[in-house]
Amino acid sequence: MTPVVEMRGVTKVYRSGSGARTVEVHALRGVDLAIQPGEYVALMGPSGSGKSTLMHIIGLLDSPTEGEYRLGGEPVRGLSEAQLARIRNQRVGFVFQAFFLLPRLTALHNVALPLVYRGVPLAKRLERARAALEAVGLGDRLDHLPSELSGGQKQRVAIARALVQEPDLLLADEPTGNLDSQSSEEVLALFDALHRQGKTILMVTHEYEVGARAQRIVRLRDGRVVEGGV
Amino acid sequence: MSPLENFRMAFESLLGNKLRSFLALLGIVIGVFAVTAMVSLGQMATAGITQDLEAIAGRSIFVQPNFNEGQDFTSAPIREEDLVALQTLPVQVIPQLFTSLQYESRPGERRSLQLQGTPGDLPRLDPTTRVARGRYFTEAEARGGLAVAVLSDRAARELFPGREAVGQVARLYYPGGSRLELTVVGVLEPPSGIFGGLGSSAVVFAPIPLVWNTAPNLRRGEYAFVVLSLKKGADARQVTQQVRRIFESRYGKGKYQVQSTESFQDTLRSVTLILQALLGAIAGLSLLVGGIGIMNIMLVSVTERTREIGLRKALGATSAQVRQQFLIEAVVLTLVGGVLGVVLAASLLFLVTATVPFFKVYILSPLTVLLALAVSALVGLFFGVWPAARAAALDPIEALRYE
Repeated sequence: MTPVVEMRGVTKVYRSGSGARTVEVHALRGVDLAIQPGEYVALMGPSGSGKSTLMHIIGLLDSPTEGEYRLGGEPVRGLSEAQLARIRNQRVGFVFQAFFLLPRLTALHNVALPLVYRGVPLAKRLERARAALEAVGLGDRLDHLPSELSGGQKQRVAIARALVQEPDLLLADEPTGNLDSQSSEEVLALFDALHRQGKTILMVTHEYEVGARAQRIVRLRDGRVVEGGV
Repeated sequence: MSPLENFRMAFESLLGNKLRSFLALLGIVIGVFAVTAMVSLGQMATAGITQDLEAIAGRSIFVQPNFNEGQDFTSAPIREEDLVALQTLPVQVIPQLFTSLQYESRPGERRSLQLQGTPGDLPRLDPTTRVARGRYFTEAEARGGLAVAVLSDRAARELFPGREAVGQVARLYYPGGSRLELTVVGVLEPPSGIFGGLGSSAVVFAPIPLVWNTAPNLRRGEYAFVVLSLKKGADARQVTQQVRRIFESRYGKGKYQVQSTESFQDTLRSVTLILQALLGAIAGLSLLVGGIGIMNIMLVSVTERTREIGLRKALGATSAQVRQQFLIEAVVLTLVGGVLGVVLAASLLFLVTATVPFFKVYILSPLTVLLALAVSALVGLFFGVWPAARAAALDPIEALRYE
């Protein structure tokens, strides 16, 4: 089966300044990583280990300096900004620590948002958004604004927004970082359920209990995978 | 993503911040209001003046001797044979004479008024002359030089204050002292419009032969002034040229002045057009200021919504789609401002037509409205380009990290 994520020798170097004062920061120093369809993987490591950079590259928000990256079997090197945006829209579902719901849109319209960029007509969008919200147990909160929802509910709306895209990969960046333990449990239980349904999940976290819910833990240190890469 | 989608999003985000959106578009509202109102008021003024002119003078051509320095004003009068030559043109020839008269307003106090010699039955020749009471003296009465008169509205009020003038005898004096007694047979309607003031002089209309016979300073067979009332379908410009040629071939260039109502109207039109352009340009400045306001508010909006932009990009929006979103937001903002401005201008024009007598016709041409809306949309497009470009250029990772 084709891996969802396949990385070989991926490096990322940030340069700042110019001329003799150029400073190079090696965020990733050769990462090999493979994630199979249906896997639930936790990406762990101390801050500065390159977790965020790796996640941005996997989510096509950033590109590697060297190395090869295939998403769903397709190399992404050399794609245009617009092509990357389209792949992001169709294959990657983001869940962020700070939810990033648009405050003036209802839960339903927030969830429908990614489909706008896919050209899905409004009625169809809302229908699919409703289904996604029902799937995360928020079928009774469709017309609530984010300010009217609890933290756990907000994150479940955000997860529904990722699910509505029917992505190859669910990419969650510290999804419980802003939540109390009860809401965290609510969200983690949802990820468990999604995993059982066969979704592919990559979760970035620095909390051990959260990482322990995953099937496999990938540990990153100083820009290298030290455990569980392939 | 369809443009319709973008318009929907634009309205959503503008409605989300009603007060700010309203304040931002206030500049555009005022600008569009000012330009639209200026242009339309100019058109209404032109229409008003044109109408007034036509009501007073009809479609006419006026011929009179040019005043030449060092020469007596009456040295180049219009003669009978000139009138005969003019008869060939598609016009009613109405020769006229002027001299001044006096009347005794109180014992020992004399006041001046104007004596005007005209042909009989003037209302038939010149439709702008309208009799209010009584009648105009007939052609037979005029030819016979009978001592009859028609008074202008003001002359009637001055000569016979508080009394009906028709049927009375007006006692008048030439400046030399000789007396003239005329039986009043009719009174004219007062002139209307802004020229009402101009035309409301005290005039006594009397048969031409009578004036020749009695006035000490006028010679029989000579006229001071000719009005040529154009017949239906006659081309004013062409006939004016023909009249000019007749007088030039007889007397040489520059001796007589030939003017038409149309040439007055042309002059007035060009004056109001210049005024309109000038006021429109000043009003346009406020549109510019409004546009800068829009740019400012859009830049603030882009900064404020950095995380939203980052999110949209993460969810699959291309830079082009983000740029389009903010451009359309700017255009929607200015377009709404434009619509409000036009509505405001339309109500002002309505109010002005209802209350100011000079503005008789309500003019808000579709072209003006279309132009106003197009310009406001263009202002949005122009001043939205930079903020939209900044939004599009945001790096999604940086944008999502923005606090």
